[in-house]
Amino acid sequence: MPSSLSGGREVGAPLGLKNTLAGRDIISCKDLSREDAELVFRLAEGVNSGTIHLEDTLAGRRVALIFVEPSTRTFQSFYVAARSLGAEVLSIHDPAVSSIAKGETLYDTVKMIEGYGVDCIVLRHPARGSARFVAETTSVPVINAGSGSQEHPTQALLDVFTIKSRLGRVDGAKIGMLGDLRYSRTIPSLCYLLANYNGVEIFFMAPPLLQVRREVELYLSERGVTYRKAMAADEIKEVMPDLDVLYVTRIQKERFPDPTEYERVRGSYVVDAKLLSYGRRDLGIMHPLPRVDELSPEVDKLPNAWYFEQARNGLPIRKALLHLVLGGAG
Amino acid sequence: MSSESLLVRKIDWGTVLDHIPAWKADQVIKLLNLESLKQDPDVSVIVLHNVPSKKLGRKDIVKLYHYMVSEDEAKILALVLPQITINYIRDWKVKKHSPGLPERIVGKIRCPETSCITNVEREPATPRYIVMKEHGVIACEYCDTLLEIERIPDFLVD
Ligand SMILES: [Zn+2]
Repeated sequence: MPSSLSGGREVGAPLGLKNTLAGRDIISCKDLSREDAELVFRLAEGVNSGTIHLEDTLAGRRVALIFVEPSTRTFQSFYVAARSLGAEVLSIHDPAVSSIAKGETLYDTVKMIEGYGVDCIVLRHPARGSARFVAETTSVPVINAGSGSQEHPTQALLDVFTIKSRLGRVDGAKIGMLGDLRYSRTIPSLCYLLANYNGVEIFFMAPPLLQVRREVELYLSERGVTYRKAMAADEIKEVMPDLDVLYVTRIQKERFPDPTEYERVRGSYVVDAKLLSYGRRDLGIMHPLPRVDELSPEVDKLPNAWYFEQARNGLPIRKALLHLVLGGAG
Repeated sequence: MSSESLLVRKIDWGTVLDHIPAWKADQVIKLLNLESLKQDPDVSVIVLHNVPSKKLGRKDIVKLYHYMVSEDEAKILALVLPQITINYIRDWKVKKHSPGLPERIVGKIRCPETSCITNVEREPATPRYIVMKEHGVIACEYCDTLLEIERIPDFLVD
């Protein structure tokens, strides 16, 4: 990339790799190839180990964070990532006080923000399809930071990065996904990204009401990914010994039309020492956090708990992604 | 003479859409957005309901006088109403048309996912779909939600 794209400051090529993500929209993990993901991972790895310094690579650049949902973690993660790369951050956050709450459309908000000369828009919005819509609205690269229950690509990048660093590989990984797979935005993104790897097997463990959406199944079938659905408690126990990783998501009471149905199933989807006893000793437990009571604190001190490290990986991944999307050297 | 020809005379120029399932002519009217033609002095729309049919028992027929259905429109009609027969009439001569399947559909159909950006009031997002005929569905290009082809009539934009 020309050095002007990295803010006028020559940063050199940290890896000497071709930046395949420069200027691209990051809307869906379906659009990311294995090479795209590996580039982000290698950069994030270098950031983590201190061999790659991305500080000030975005000096003089402007990143807009439009968060039309009360999300704090992802907002903070992007904010700190952009700031530590030296970018100026323009943020529209708390929807309660912003113009969006006053009835401005997302379209108008984006057009207004564009007028400030931003180099990238990071969007969190409750509507599915919002990120693609914004990407079509603006010529500036758009990063999807969560589009309703549809996708959350940067979460999937940090999830697969965590699997790769802990397991040493992603190919052939056997991954159980437990909890609310229907309304979780992280699950589709994770599945789409995993489809780039060879021999991955996915086990969807959820009550029928919260099972994975059909378009995710269709995508996996078309990409030749093996998956299986386990709905009942004893099916889950049966699947446990096969797993390398158990990825847990939160089950929300509001998803059930009948609260007694919620009470009936919730016990089967709590991860505690007892459930872990059915799995392998080195089974890794992941969770996008925040958790409620689906992940017992007794798991925290076990070596199986990968989720705090997983959460820590958010920052290097978002730094690497912002750097690359804004045209930094690969 | 068939009862159909007793009911309405032949047209010399236009499109005759035959073998529409009985009482489903409104789907054709919505798919073709025929109401938008109300200012056009040359176009007349003749709708026949509940006509006896050997093939369907009962059927609807829509005659579009001085209106030629476009190729894109024909493809969408054939997708949503697979039994439909499309006849182009030029100087009384009838030519049966068998359209292929559409690859994409723009507008015409509401996304079934209520939380889709195309269903958010005032946002200028026109729904757009990819047709996945082999799976019997169309997929919203914005939100990925699938809609079974046979359920499309329930989601036609008025
Ligand atoms: Zn949609």
